[in-house]
Amino acid sequence: MRFFFQELVNGLTTGSLYALIALGYTMVYGILKLLNFAHGDVFMIGAFIGYFVIQWFGGSSALTIPVPLLLLIMFVLASGGCGALGVAIERFAYRPLRDAPRIAPLITALGVSFFLENAALLLWGGSYREYNTSNFIPFSTSVHIGGVNIYIVQILVIVLSVILMIGLRLLVDRTQLGRQMRAVAADREAAEMLGINVNFTISATFFIGSALAGAAGVMWGLVFNSIWTYMGFVAGLKAFTAAVVGGIGSISGAVLGGLLIGLAESFITGYISSTYTNLIVFGILIAVMLLRPSGLLGRVALQKV
Amino acid sequence: MAVEPQDPSIGVDEWVARQAARREYAPGLRGQAQRQLERVGWWPRLAIAAAIGAIIPQLGLNGFQLQIGINALLLAILAVGLNISVGWAGLLDLGYIAFYGFGAYGFALLSSNQLNQPHGIHLPAYASIPIVMVGAAALGVLVGLPSRRLIGDYLAIVTLFFGEAFVEFVNNVAPTKLGGPNGIFAIDPVQAFGKQITTNQGYFYLLLVLLVLTIIVLHLLDTARTGRAWRSVREDPLAASMMTVPVFRVKLMAFAFGAMVAALAGTVFAAQQTSVFPTDFETEMLILIYAALILGGVGSIAGAVLGAVLIEVVYEGFLRSPTEAGYIFYGVILLTLFVKLRPWRRLALVLGATVALGFAMHAIVKAISASAVAGGPQSSGWIADALRGWVIVPANNAHVVPTQPGNIAFVVLICLLIALVQVKGRWRTILLVPTLYLAACVWEWRLVAEPSVTRLILIGAILIVTMNARPQGLLGKRRVEIV
Amino acid sequence: MKVRITIAAIGLTALVAAGCGSSSSTTTSSGTAASASTSNKCSVSVGVEAPITGPVAVLGDEQLAFAKLAVQDDNKANGTNITLVQGDTQLTPSIATTVTQQMISNSKVVAVVGPAGSQEVEAVGPLFGRAGLPFISGSATKTTLTNGSNPTFLRVVSRDSVQGPEDANFVIKTLHPKALMIVDDQEAYSTGLVDSMVPIFKSAGISVDHESVSQKVTDFSSLVAKVTPQMTVVVLPWQVAANAQQFGKNLASQGKKVTIVGTDGLYSPSSFTINGSYVSSFGPDITAIPSSAQLVTEAKAAYPKFGTFGPPVYAATHVVDQAIASVCKSGQTPTRSNVLAAIKSTREATSVLGQPIVFDSHGDLIGAKWFLFHITNGKYTLVTSK
Repeated sequence: MRFFFQELVNGLTTGSLYALIALGYTMVYGILKLLNFAHGDVFMIGAFIGYFVIQWFGGSSALTIPVPLLLLIMFVLASGGCGALGVAIERFAYRPLRDAPRIAPLITALGVSFFLENAALLLWGGSYREYNTSNFIPFSTSVHIGGVNIYIVQILVIVLSVILMIGLRLLVDRTQLGRQMRAVAADREAAEMLGINVNFTISATFFIGSALAGAAGVMWGLVFNSIWTYMGFVAGLKAFTAAVVGGIGSISGAVLGGLLIGLAESFITGYISSTYTNLIVFGILIAVMLLRPSGLLGRVALQKV
Repeated sequence: MAVEPQDPSIGVDEWVARQAARREYAPGLRGQAQRQLERVGWWPRLAIAAAIGAIIPQLGLNGFQLQIGINALLLAILAVGLNISVGWAGLLDLGYIAFYGFGAYGFALLSSNQLNQPHGIHLPAYASIPIVMVGAAALGVLVGLPSRRLIGDYLAIVTLFFGEAFVEFVNNVAPTKLGGPNGIFAIDPVQAFGKQITTNQGYFYLLLVLLVLTIIVLHLLDTARTGRAWRSVREDPLAASMMTVPVFRVKLMAFAFGAMVAALAGTVFAAQQTSVFPTDFETEMLILIYAALILGGVGSIAGAVLGAVLIEVVYEGFLRSPTEAGYIFYGVILLTLFVKLRPWRRLALVLGATVALGFAMHAIVKAISASAVAGGPQSSGWIADALRGWVIVPANNAHVVPTQPGNIAFVVLICLLIALVQVKGRWRTILLVPTLYLAACVWEWRLVAEPSVTRLILIGAILIVTMNARPQGLLGKRRVEIV
Repeated sequence: MKVRITIAAIGLTALVAAGCGSSSSTTTSSGTAASASTSNKCSVSVGVEAPITGPVAVLGDEQLAFAKLAVQDDNKANGTNITLVQGDTQLTPSIATTVTQQMISNSKVVAVVGPAGSQEVEAVGPLFGRAGLPFISGSATKTTLTNGSNPTFLRVVSRDSVQGPEDANFVIKTLHPKALMIVDDQEAYSTGLVDSMVPIFKSAGISVDHESVSQKVTDFSSLVAKVTPQMTVVVLPWQVAANAQQFGKNLASQGKKVTIVGTDGLYSPSSFTINGSYVSSFGPDITAIPSSAQLVTEAKAAYPKFGTFGPPVYAATHVVDQAIASVCKSGQTPTRSNVLAAIKSTREATSVLGQPIVFDSHGDLIGAKWFLFHITNGKYTLVTSK
């Protein structure tokens, strides 16, 4: 039972991070029908921004400011920086391709991904950087439930992810900006004719999605400790999978997809075998897709001739 | 190859517009050339291209250039095969690399000592290649089965799973039979016409023959009922099914043919490399195939081949050496300026101002501190010699510790580029001058010192710029997607 | 607009053609000019094949930095003018083939340092052999590479057949576990070591849980949760030390008291510092060798977080540089064959690996040692060596 809870917590932590990144994918897809493969690299940049904040304030073992303040600054800077980066990418690479067939922005996104990964490699080198969270948030700060030690950082990640997801849901459902996003996602030309500033809405969507990815990057560094320039590739692929499995365009779907993947990985590694984890996860996901062809919570698209 | 309408306009249907445009060609030289080219006909064009391809190995190329040629031909076969599912049938197949790997591993298992040790199975190539291709077609049908219920991006993700699952499978499952991470070695080379092909030249010709055969077969398919069925399924599956097109079977055929072509490429790849490893078939290779296809123009065989050749020659050939990467870098910048800046006066103004600014900055900085300009451009060749007195490159820039100022200059350059996109008009022209100069300096200072990393940065930038300039690819047709 | 495109395209092609045509002549003329100015004929290139970009860029980055350092130091010391030509293999054998062809076709390259992975060596060995180009690796450890099939191959690290059994025997004799977990990272290096260690453990009556994770995984909590109280030892023959560090942290956060035993991939005083662990290596701690103090300072400035992949490449590059310098000193122009001969007859009394460098006829290092370190208070202390 204890083993079960441990794997559950692990799965929830990883799953929440995948879900956060998947949210960015799903939002951008909903509005532009574009799969933004550079999203994973924005997440990586967020993790690095968090790392440099720690170094700025003295490094993980000699911090000059209290830990909560450090965390706040890390999150704000990473989210803001990544949001700005997302807006810049949209402006620079995707805006001219708004009306092109959907396969063209695929390559542009890959080009942006190459650019970001290798610019980061050029600037910061290939070695892994460590957050060394246990230096400023010791392992002893944990909660004991059912004989299982849950590290406080894991709780922080899960809680923060839930808050951000609920916040996003509220934003999309209740605010003016959310209404505009939904309108643009439904029919861009009609929305423009109704007086909605489409460029602003799209930029806002990219900002929010990328800010979430940046926050996920900082959280990744806090929980998993080591960050490096290629981490975005793998995490991005998993998050993209989560977004699609959950139903692209659906926010709750992305969350569900992320959690599903995180939990599946965790339990399969724990209970079955770590060698075949990926294969079995793929099998499960294929089965899910076959049972629900539009994703878990996706809307079935009405086909018209 | 008719001229596409310049802008898709509202209320005008694409086919009608194309018919209208067909009556008028572009004015002047280009229109003349187009008309002549269209008169030549498809088969003579193929023959000319094949002849050009056949001459290439005779030009006295060294081993590296021939290897690039072989890689280009392999990539071309793969791109042409991918074109079937993505371009003609409109199915996004992200697991295509699995078919390539299947072909390679299939050939490896049938032509080496891996299975049935110690002697192994050593089937001759003319027996093993068809067996592998049939197996790949079966695998293609298997991968295509979900397309009965899944469409679009959902199908894409399932094919992606298959692609990743292949690599995992081959790496982790049954290591003694499949080689595991150690791969399979000592694969027999291909035997054709009684001789074993072991040289790069031999494989070049073999691949050229296979590419031409594949193109012929696919062209015949495309102009027949199958091609029309694929096109109708791509444009509107529901309408197609109502017109009695067997949609599911057509999709399976697209997957199967694509798989067969990929497996063919895989077998020759395995024979040429004489070894296969799981890491040869990772997602990076898939990205390369997609880039080749989309850059060349989705839906067009010639485009796929052209895109593959361009990507391979530029990415692997030119960009690997600092000097030649410099040609590409300066070449692309100058090309963009030529094409985008009008009128001629503005272009001349910008170029002149950049040169003047360069000399001025160089003189100023030299006056302040001589060591700041002591380092010269690191590439060799006539471009670097010409630039020696123009760019600012500090001393000690080639060495191990990356210099902080170099990194800062790089970041400033990126910010300037983003700013350039934001501003308009006169300010844009003014901002262009320092951006160009800074770009040249950063190139010579920081980027050339790390050719391997710069190569990827540059290919990323080239992909972004090319797709923005021409979203339909080089030889593609502008399509209007009615979503 | 289209006129501009056409003119631009024609102009560009002419430019490139002129450039290609003249660059060959320019390089030779600048080459002779340079050599005339430095007044020696030692203006050759050494190739470096490493995974400089790609998923294992962390290893290639370190190897490249140390190769650059070695060339810098040796050029200063010997007065040569050796340049480095990079070849990025991304640890993929098919790309390694292309890069190797590039090296072979580049007539200025007289020797290559690399490739990094054993699979790559196997894929490109025949090419190097046919071209007579010597290649010396700082990290390819597969045993069969030096069985005679690669006549121009040498290496400065020991073989898997030494490290695996030595580590396994140490674990059995000193740590006496009843059960242990051994995890491979799905790469050839790792699976080779696991294959050599697991039978030894099993024949000693220890129950072995063999797990496998990809190198791309960065969180091991799920795996760590599988560590039972009976397992007192976890063996990690991995290549990426940072991953092992994270594994150790996961162990600590779940409160599991386990000793980690790692092979030379984990040897990284800056990245892997889990107290109580054991790490084996082919070289002694270079920070403790007085003769390499200068290298250590330079290395710390250039690449602070170096581990076990940098110093052997430094040693390998140094061997190549010295060979080239000796050929030049004897008045000949360095060619591939005389540099190969010079490398094979290398006799260095000491090196950054803390031992003399002499090669046997197969290309292995004679007297390659095996060292075992224990980590206490974040520092590596030598326990035993053979």
